[in-house]
Amino acid sequence: MKRRGRGIACMWYPIGFTVAANPSAAVVKINEDGTATLLTGTVETGQGSLTILAQIVAQELGVATDDVHVVSADTDTTPMDTGAIASRTTYVTGNAARLAAEKAKDILFEVAAPVLGVKPSQLECADHKIQVVGFPQRNMHIGDVADRARGVNGQPPIGSASYNPATVALDAETGQGKPFATYVYATQIAEVDVDDETGEVEVLRIVASHDCGTPINPMLVEGQVEGGISMGVGFALEEEILFDKFGRQLNPNLTNYIMPTSLDMPKIEVDIVDSYDPTGPFGAKGVGETGTFGVSPAIANAIHDAVGVRLTELPLSAEKLWEKLSGKR
Amino acid sequence: VRKEIRFALNGESVEAQVAPHETLVEVLRESFGLCGARESCGQGLCGCCTVLVNGTAVSGCLYLASLCEGAEVQTVEQGGELDAVQQAFIERGAFQCGFCTPGFVLMTRQLLDEIADPTDDDIRHYLSGNLCRCAAYPEILEAVKLAAKKRKASRP
Repeated sequence: MKRRGRGIACMWYPIGFTVAANPSAAVVKINEDGTATLLTGTVETGQGSLTILAQIVAQELGVATDDVHVVSADTDTTPMDTGAIASRTTYVTGNAARLAAEKAKDILFEVAAPVLGVKPSQLECADHKIQVVGFPQRNMHIGDVADRARGVNGQPPIGSASYNPATVALDAETGQGKPFATYVYATQIAEVDVDDETGEVEVLRIVASHDCGTPINPMLVEGQVEGGISMGVGFALEEEILFDKFGRQLNPNLTNYIMPTSLDMPKIEVDIVDSYDPTGPFGAKGVGETGTFGVSPAIANAIHDAVGVRLTELPLSAEKLWEKLSGKR
Repeated sequence: VRKEIRFALNGESVEAQVAPHETLVEVLRESFGLCGARESCGQGLCGCCTVLVNGTAVSGCLYLASLCEGAEVQTVEQGGELDAVQQAFIERGAFQCGFCTPGFVLMTRQLLDEIADPTDDDIRHYLSGNLCRCAAYPEILEAVKLAAKKRKASRP
């Protein structure tokens, strides 16, 4: 008979490792038509990093995301990047992109200040304009300022910057230290049905509550969390690389390395927790890998809640569960 | 030994020289530069290479090109404008990396040809042969329902 259970898991995950150099660099060029160009070494694989970086630069310069042309992952033109790894791109590369945009913006402020009769510190970027804080009607179009910077002041508005979360060596004696720049937190709850005769587990619902600092693009955050949950469900219940005694993989194909399909996806509710990290770009941290980790402990706890059996080795397969259930009977 | 085959590719009659072992997805890619159908698992298990042959979805990685003699082959590249299914996928954000999307689009077209107004279960079962590692499944489900609505609305 089917028995229902619920389990909960809480987690943290580190963002921006500091035990070794971990830099990203960026170049931002503000063009005479009011658009901007960002050079970044990071790689887009569908997670939406380039969209996020364009949003960060756009926010800093007061232009639209579509106005930011991103050139990426080409070492002929872009800086080398530490990598689209470790949930670090929004935080580390994002900080570099924001700092580069800020440097280019500072040039525009110096150029516009005497024209508008104020100090550079009294200017802000908004709505494609450089304007006086508190007096937005006193403004110049960002493209006109960029043109003037180059043609009149002889100082093209180009900024380059890098960001490296301060490297801190771990204590050689104790292994203690500050290994990461910041952390994200999450809680995930799983609801499952367990067949107590066969050991089959069906995940009905996952509710996932995630902190990632400021969610710069909530749709992408949800997509990353949903993808992580699907991988977490596969990791929890069925995905396992099997080797023979010579180390050859026994299941190098999708017939017997089983991963979740549309039929295995539980109902997912993603809740993004409002938070702000002062060290991240506009308060953002990261989310790339964080959807995955809470899922398997939450499912293991839900199985325990449903049938009173504690499995401690992944995957939580029907065979293993059936064996324990048979032992109980 | 290569053999010449003639078939209709996305509505245009074409010909190709194919070796007996060459698959449809290889010929689409190498002879016609069409990269929408992608070989991923190479075993007909992931759905990334889905193309329609005479209106039926096949795995392009298993389907021998020489069998296409005289057939009508449709890939995701057909037609200049986006159809209701593609529009719905964009509007619902039903992908992240997009690698599996052409297969999902073609399968969804076939689903909606068979069942104009599918239930959630119909959709989940029909598309269970298409894998999405980014797991955009919840958005894909919503996109298929939106595409069904769009198709209904455009019908006189």
